[in-house]
Order: sequence, then structure tokens, then C-alpha cells
Amino acid sequence: MLRLVVRNFVATLDPITLLVMFGQPAFLIVILGTMFSQLIPSVGASGSYVAYLVPGMIASQMITGAVLAGRIFWLDRRWAMVEQIFSGPFLRAEYLAALLLTALLFSLVGVGIMVLVALPLIGLTPLSPFEGFVILGTIALGSLCFGGLLIALGGRIRSANLYFTIQSLLQYFLIFISTVYYPVTAKTPVVLRAIVYANPLTYAANTVRDGFTHSFGPSDLLGAGILAGLAAVTFCLAVLSFRTLEMGPVQ
Amino acid sequence: MLRAEELGFAYTPDRFAIRGLSFDVRPGEVFGLLGRNGAGKTTTVRVLTTLLPVTEGHGYLFGTELRHAGREQRRRLGVVLQSESLDFVSVETNLTLYAFLWGVPREVAKTRAEEMLELFELGPMRKRKPWGLSGGERRRFQVARELMHDMELLFLDEPTVGLDALTRRRILDYLAMRARGGLAIVFTTHILQEADQLCDRIGVLQGGRLRAVGPPSEIKRRYRGARAVEAEFERPLSEAERRAVGALLAARGQSLAILSDARGLLTFRATNAEDLVAELSRWAHASDVDLVRISVRETTLEEAFVTLVSEDATEGPGTPEAP
Repeated sequence: MLRLVVRNFVATLDPITLLVMFGQPAFLIVILGTMFSQLIPSVGASGSYVAYLVPGMIASQMITGAVLAGRIFWLDRRWAMVEQIFSGPFLRAEYLAALLLTALLFSLVGVGIMVLVALPLIGLTPLSPFEGFVILGTIALGSLCFGGLLIALGGRIRSANLYFTIQSLLQYFLIFISTVYYPVTAKTPVVLRAIVYANPLTYAANTVRDGFTHSFGPSDLLGAGILAGLAAVTFCLAVLSFRTLEMGPVQ
Repeated sequence: MLRAEELGFAYTPDRFAIRGLSFDVRPGEVFGLLGRNGAGKTTTVRVLTTLLPVTEGHGYLFGTELRHAGREQRRRLGVVLQSESLDFVSVETNLTLYAFLWGVPREVAKTRAEEMLELFELGPMRKRKPWGLSGGERRRFQVARELMHDMELLFLDEPTVGLDALTRRRILDYLAMRARGGLAIVFTTHILQEADQLCDRIGVLQGGRLRAVGPPSEIKRRYRGARAVEAEFERPLSEAERRAVGALLAARGQSLAILSDARGLLTFRATNAEDLVAELSRWAHASDVDLVRISVRETTLEEAFVTLVSEDATEGPGTPEAP
């Protein structure tokens, strides 16, 4: 299974894709953070918008990891590598596990990059082992949740246009209608608030943020529970999609 | 090594893709699966490589029922699928990466990659990405990549599509050499000449059923149909003489279709060519026409295939013949 993970890293991703995928959020922290800081006087526990934004961007790396894993899977289908791998000494479960592990590892690479970018801007305070564990656990659950969702979709959709359109829409929907960029307050319209709280990324972003501000509370436990539940659901969907995966060319 | 007993696969209970396939493949044997487009060749390969489930009958891969075959059986297989498969790295990295997936030691993989790049004439394009290669080059690359790991049974689903004659010959010679070393090969192709050249036995698929199994020579003998006969006379035959030849053949129940009649050379097809040679010699002697040469061309596998498939097209599906 680890061989498949290594292969996922070596074979499917080119440097330009990686630069765009990981460079974009880093760029957003610097540009968006600096520009919006002028407009937003006080937000979050520290009052600094950049300090508010960074944990959100770190949480959003689980989406980046999931998108990359979904992309690998879809390209493997498109270029018949799924069949080629399944006709070799691998189990379908191993291939699925390798994709999910790839999503997690890419998310962690993204988290590392975000932390490196954020350090000179806001200077992160050291985390306790528990806080670090919870943050990484949240990232892992989120990667599993969103990775499972995109793999499940990738197994059902037979058109590249449709898959990548849905993936892009989903990616932007999840990131923008969440608490990654801005908080939910009493002024937020009720409908929008409901959608934000139906979005698992919101719970992930809040938990990561609370971790960085050393302010874990019962809501984070609830968030972790919701994320774990959704991860279990999307994992089951991905397994189901794999069990009924149609071999043969897709466009 | 590989055995199919009334093997079948159905998409739905009333829509089968292959049915009642019975054959076996022995170590060191090259077994060809022939058939028209949609005959079920690729589906057969997919079922035998566990990509599709068995829905009828039984199949055994290295002694294990296909329904229970898994990683351990597939580890002993090589599979070149009909669909192009590739990774988004250079040709050379594709080869070594594939070997890595199969657990081939790094040094062995490097040496083997060099061998394959040379054998399949991919050396000059080793740094190029496979999708930038021509169709034939990509096919060569795919076969080369599969040969990066060790195996006992190799499935090749139309491996020579788009290859030029020279490359095709080179690959077929290499496969024949590997087969002599004990590698069993299951090979599907549309090019019947190469099946004739490479295969020890062939199976002809028609409408998802196996219509005939046997060595190419036996298939050719059994389904040879009408064969081309060439009779060369010392001079062009007159109209009356040609009518006489026609009448003579018609009297023997032969179907006579003159293909050409130029400068004394009469070429035609007949269903019972051996009898005809003697008959025509006697007629020439009696008619005082010098017969310079008469020959019956051997049936090609393609002709036998056409006869077999045409028979089936008129008769409809029946019981497959015993191997």
C-alpha cells in the first residue's frame, strides 16, 4: 500500500500543479491577510485578521489534499491506471487506502507550508502536545471526509468536464461558505448561517483556530464528533463507489 | 496454469458478454484469442485477470478458482490491457516506477529498464512523457512496461495495434523467445497472420462463445473452405476450352469462381482442390492442352477464420467445439 502512496506522489503530480495548489493559499494569507487587515479592525480572539485567517487556511488544506487525491483517482481512471493496478498485486481496499493516505499527506504538506508562511507574519505560539494532536486529528478526519467524498464522486462520474466542474464548485462552496475567511456573527443572515454550520469545514476551521488560540471548548468536541461522523459516511460512500466501480474508458 | 470451464460473464441475467468458454493454457504455451470486434475477447481477458467477476461456470488461475483468486495469483500475472494506461512521468520513470510497484529491486529495475528501452526502441524517447508519443510508440511502451516484472502468465490484449511490421515482428519474436523459456501467453489480436505465426493454439470467439479451439494448422484444415488453385497452361485457353473446364468442375460439384485468366494462367477457387488437380490434369491431357503447372495455395488462418465466422453467422450460436 505504501508503494501506491509513493507512486501517487511521484507519478501523478507535476511541480506546476503543486505550486498552484499550495502556493495559492500561501499567497492568500500574505495578500488577503494584509489587505483585509486594513478593512477589518478587530476579529477573533487576538483581534488580528491575519491571525484569524491563518488557522482557517491551515484547516482548508484538508480540502487541498482531498482535491489532489480525487484528481489522482480520476486521472487514474481516465488513463486506465486503475485497471492496470487492479490487475496487479494490489487489493482495491489498498488502492482506496493509498488515496486517502495521499490526501492526508498532501494536507499535512499544505499545513507545513501554511505554518512556514504564517510564522513571520503572526508568529505562532507553541502548541501543547494535546493541542497539536487535536489539530492533526482534525486535519486527518477532514482529509478522510473530503477525500472520501471526492473519491466517491470520481468513481461514479464518467466525464472529466463534469467531475472537475463539480470538484471546483464544491471546493469553492466549502471554503467560502465556512468560517475559513470570516466569522459567523449575529449579523450573518440566518440562511447563510445555517449553511455555514452544515459545512464540515466550519467545524474543522473552528477547532484548528481554537487550537492555535489555546481555547478548546465543548463546541470543538461536538465539531470533532460531526467531522468523524461525516468522515465515516463519506468513507462508506467511497467504498461503495469502489465496489461498483465500472472498468473501462472514461472521458 | 489457466483453465476455463463453461466460463461466462453476464452484465445482467439476460445480457451475457461471454458464455460457455472452455479451454486451458499450459506453461510455455501461446494461446491466441481471435474474434471480430465485440466478440468478447477483451471481456474474456478481464474475467481471467479478475477485473470482472465470473458469473457463470468456473475458471482456475494457477489452480485457484477465479472467484477466490486475489493478490497472490495476480502477482504471477502480467497484463497489457487494450486501453492505454500511463503515468504522468517520463517513459523511463514510468518503467522504473512500475517495477517499484511490483517490488522489483532498484538495481534489477534499472538494468531491465535499459533492456526494455533498447528492445522496444524507446531509448531516444526515454525522457519524453508517454502521452507525447505516437500511438505505436505508446503501445510499445505499454508492452515494455509490463515486462519490467517477473511473471508466469502474460495477457496481451491486442498488443500490436498500430505497430509497423518490423516492430511487430521484433516483439513477436521476443514473446516467442519468452514462451520457449516457459512463459505462458494469452494473446488477443485482429491480425490473424501474427496469431498463425506466434500461437501454439487458438480459440475463435464469436458472439461471446468459443466456436473452435485448436492449433492453427488444425483450425485451417477444419475450416479451410474454398482454396485458390492456379493452373498455368502453355497458352491462353479458348472460350470453348474455358467453358469445358467450367463444365468439368460443375459436373464434380465444385464451385468455380474464376479469379483471373491471363496469358494461360487460370486462377480460381474450389472447395475440394485436391480432386480438382487430378481432374484438370486428365482434362488437359485428353484435350491436348499442355498444363505447365498446377498448384493449390495453402489456406491462411484468415481464410479459415472467415469461413468459420461466416458459417456461424448463417447458422447462429451453437455448442462450442471441444478443445
